Amino acid sequence: MKCDVAVVGSGLAALVATRTLQRAGRDPVLIWPGLSSLYFLYATVDVLGYANASSAQPVEEPAAGVRQLIAQNPDHPYARAGLAALEDGSSLLLEWLREAGFNWQGTLNRNLLLPTALGTPKPSCLVPTSMVAGDLQRDEPIAFCGFDGYQDFVPELAASNLSGAWNGGGRTVTAVRVSLPGIKPDRLFTSIDLARNFEDATFRREVAGRLRLAVKDSGARLGMPAVLGLTHDTDVHAEFEKECGHPVFEIPTLPPSVLGLRLFDRLRRHVQETGVEMIWAAPAHDAEVANGRCLRIHLKSAGREQPLEARAYVLALEDAVDGAWRAGAHTVRDPFFHQVLAQHATPAERTDESLFAPQPFATVGYPVSDRLQPVDKDGHPLASNVFVAGGGMAGYDPTGIKARGGMAIATGYRAAQEAMAA
Amino acid sequence: MPDTSTGVVVIGGGSTGSGVLRDLTLRGIDAILVEKGDLASGTTGRSHGLLHSGGRYCVNDLAAAIECVQEGRILRRIARTTVEDTGGYFVSVSQEDEAWEPRFVEGCQKAGITCERLSVEEARRREPALSTNVRTVFWIPEDGHLDPFYLVVGNVESARRRGAQVRTYTEVVGFTRTGNRISGVLTRDAVTGEETSIGCQAVINATGAWSGFVARLLDVEVKVVPVKGVMVVLSRRLAHAAINRCHKPGDGDIVVPGLSVAILGTTAVKVPHPEVLPIEWNEVQLLIDEGAKMLDGVTTSRAMRAYAGVRPLYDLGAEAEGREMSRNFAVIDHEERDGVAGFTSIVGGKVTTYRLMAERVTDLVARRLGVTTPCTTAEVPLNDREDEMDQLRHRPAQLGVPKPHGEELALQPLLCECELVRPQDVEPWMHDPAVRTLEDVRRRTRSGMGPCQAAICSYRLAGRLVTDRGVDGRTATRAMADFLETRWRGVRHVFWGSQLRQAQVTAGVHLELFNVDRQLMEPQSPKLAEEGRGGGIPAEVEAVGQP
Repeated sequence: MKCDVAVVGSGLAALVATRTLQRAGRDPVLIWPGLSSLYFLYATVDVLGYANASSAQPVEEPAAGVRQLIAQNPDHPYARAGLAALEDGSSLLLEWLREAGFNWQGTLNRNLLLPTALGTPKPSCLVPTSMVAGDLQRDEPIAFCGFDGYQDFVPELAASNLSGAWNGGGRTVTAVRVSLPGIKPDRLFTSIDLARNFEDATFRREVAGRLRLAVKDSGARLGMPAVLGLTHDTDVHAEFEKECGHPVFEIPTLPPSVLGLRLFDRLRRHVQETGVEMIWAAPAHDAEVANGRCLRIHLKSAGREQPLEARAYVLALEDAVDGAWRAGAHTVRDPFFHQVLAQHATPAERTDESLFAPQPFATVGYPVSDRLQPVDKDGHPLASNVFVAGGGMAGYDPTGIKARGGMAIATGYRAAQEAMAA
Repeated sequence: MPDTSTGVVVIGGGSTGSGVLRDLTLRGIDAILVEKGDLASGTTGRSHGLLHSGGRYCVNDLAAAIECVQEGRILRRIARTTVEDTGGYFVSVSQEDEAWEPRFVEGCQKAGITCERLSVEEARRREPALSTNVRTVFWIPEDGHLDPFYLVVGNVESARRRGAQVRTYTEVVGFTRTGNRISGVLTRDAVTGEETSIGCQAVINATGAWSGFVARLLDVEVKVVPVKGVMVVLSRRLAHAAINRCHKPGDGDIVVPGLSVAILGTTAVKVPHPEVLPIEWNEVQLLIDEGAKMLDGVTTSRAMRAYAGVRPLYDLGAEAEGREMSRNFAVIDHEERDGVAGFTSIVGGKVTTYRLMAERVTDLVARRLGVTTPCTTAEVPLNDREDEMDQLRHRPAQLGVPKPHGEELALQPLLCECELVRPQDVEPWMHDPAVRTLEDVRRRTRSGMGPCQAAICSYRLAGRLVTDRGVDGRTATRAMADFLETRWRGVRHVFWGSQLRQAQVTAGVHLELFNVDRQLMEPQSPKLAEEGRGGGIPAEVEAVGQP
């Protein structure tokens, strides 16, 4: 199999790289190794929530924050990608979302502060419109709404935490719970089941009616688990808001993340419908290199190995979730060039004593050149036509600074640009 | 005047202490059990869960082997639902192992252990994962898996139904005496620091590896040698039966099937203190390497976590060290030995023989109290009533099974999908004041013990703390974080392969979707005590935030 540019990955970096190539009139092939963090960890596009992993003070202007981060830390993936890649990549994504029928909002100049399912305020930059009314920089009271038997969003927990954290507890935060029509609390149901139910107008009206009775404060906005529709969420949210008579905002729940699922599903469908070939469930590995260029990589498709020849490659394996690395007890290798990316005397060395601190393992990845090519120990590119985006890069740890989406966009966009020039 | 009075105070909430408590109440003696942490949070809950047939001890420690044979049979009668009759194999993988075989066979005969030699082909037919290294195989039908948490909870609940009291997170800090006789204990609540006195006629020290510390409060010496053992949990069970190496007992020579997982055990290292149990990489590596000699799949399965427990070996004064020391037990009559009347220690032993240990020490104490009622713990089952807790083994059936041709899946909601824990399994413990941390809930329900190591159920449990127990969000969030951190301490040591993906999902959900790291930075968040040192969630308060 032959193609122009092969993009390997299943996260946002891979999607943005693919779209960038497509918009430039190129002919990318998207190779999807399997479920990515989009299914578990994505809801919003966070560009920079905090200046560093130990700061408690949210960043107000993400673009300015990233500029400062680049100035202070020239090896950071944001610095490697460049601020322009973040800006252009974000515009491309917002335009793409619109074209794909998604309602998203936000600018790089401002973070929203949105309550999580714990009730903790969290800075986010680009968000689905269905989440915007949760911004804690607004003053209206909040009523968190949960459902009988639904364990993945607990309104009482969120209300208790937020009432302590939100401007010193000056605002009103309450919790309500309603039963769901036709859903028996003694039967197993998931967020996805609820999301499908909410696409039904009768179901939705009945729930809205119950919520109107339960929420006493007529001025309150309603914080709901993100289950308002799976494929028709834009309409579902608008209609549900009307039926409730309150502003309604969605809050990401425990996995599966309906918000991440919608995002991935909509974007990959759009890119496929507009002509991009996608190869499903095919982990890629083993790059063949000659004269400094990668000739082909190999795909593990059902029961056999399939070589894929491209003019250039974007390795956008976002993180460990989609299986970027081969980690033995001591040595971490990459699957393409079989480079030793890290050596550890003990596996525990890869981790911090606390789960909530930055993990040394998160920063393992390919050292890259100025053009995002993976390089060897001496700084020479392993292949001049291969480019790295996302969590495959060394030093890539978006967790503590809450920058997962922004870093994926910036590096995905930049790697695609480089792949076109290669 | 003491704050409370009782007949006997039992110190220690492991298998021995809970067995003693039950034995006392079955003889009609009033008793209160005090435990400085949670039930089964010391040695018992950190064992590998092998119900010993005695095969392991039959060459070097015949007396201990014979006790295992007898007690194993009794436990299958009285605690049927805490035991899975897995059976076990003793396998030889080297020439040295083969040289051990005649002694093993002879030992089994002497101890009365049923032992059948199988052809390797037959053994592999039954256990396809047996390694090609395996040269000879013995089938020992009486090896089994014992759920240590259910055993302790079963003993305690049986005693409670007969009027006994149990106080967890309650440490003994002193004694009161009248002359040379103990007249009571002083206790301190590990969370509130509140001190309470309990008047009593006798005290039984069943604190295992901690026995020396309790005895020292009375200026008497009990020499217990704490010996650490490290274990590794694999995410798959690998074998139906327990797999033992047929050789002189050593490191890494047992693989125990525990419900859906396999536990590789164990190492033996003397430690200076029973709470200093570092997990060393060379121990983890050894367990994997040795396990792989007996079973295929050990190196390729996902290791979920490592943990360390402590054996309470009683120093009989011999030269023996670590494994050479007897796994037998001793009752120390401090009245006779040290002139401290009303104080008795029970030391050494192991979980399999906990009931016999309890019987022996209770015999002595009952006799001193003038009670002649004989011991009945070998006959009366732990759960002598219909009890939800008895249903552990039947849980999958209770949950409902998908009907291939039915209209809908009759599955019940689950709080912990990994371990099939339902909301109603957790609910009663939310109202039990003895439960102070989410680890305590885990010990009683298995919630959080599966492959995701509490990534999902920790949030749901935190929610229940708010809705069912009425604690505030901060306290519930802190409890959730502490639970995840305790799990993380075990996960870190097996951090390779697909474990990395799980860790990333866990960190992503909690740090990115929930922003829990910033919630924990909130200055008002009270830091709860570490596991095993008490602390935790306050007892139930009136529910808030309910509609």
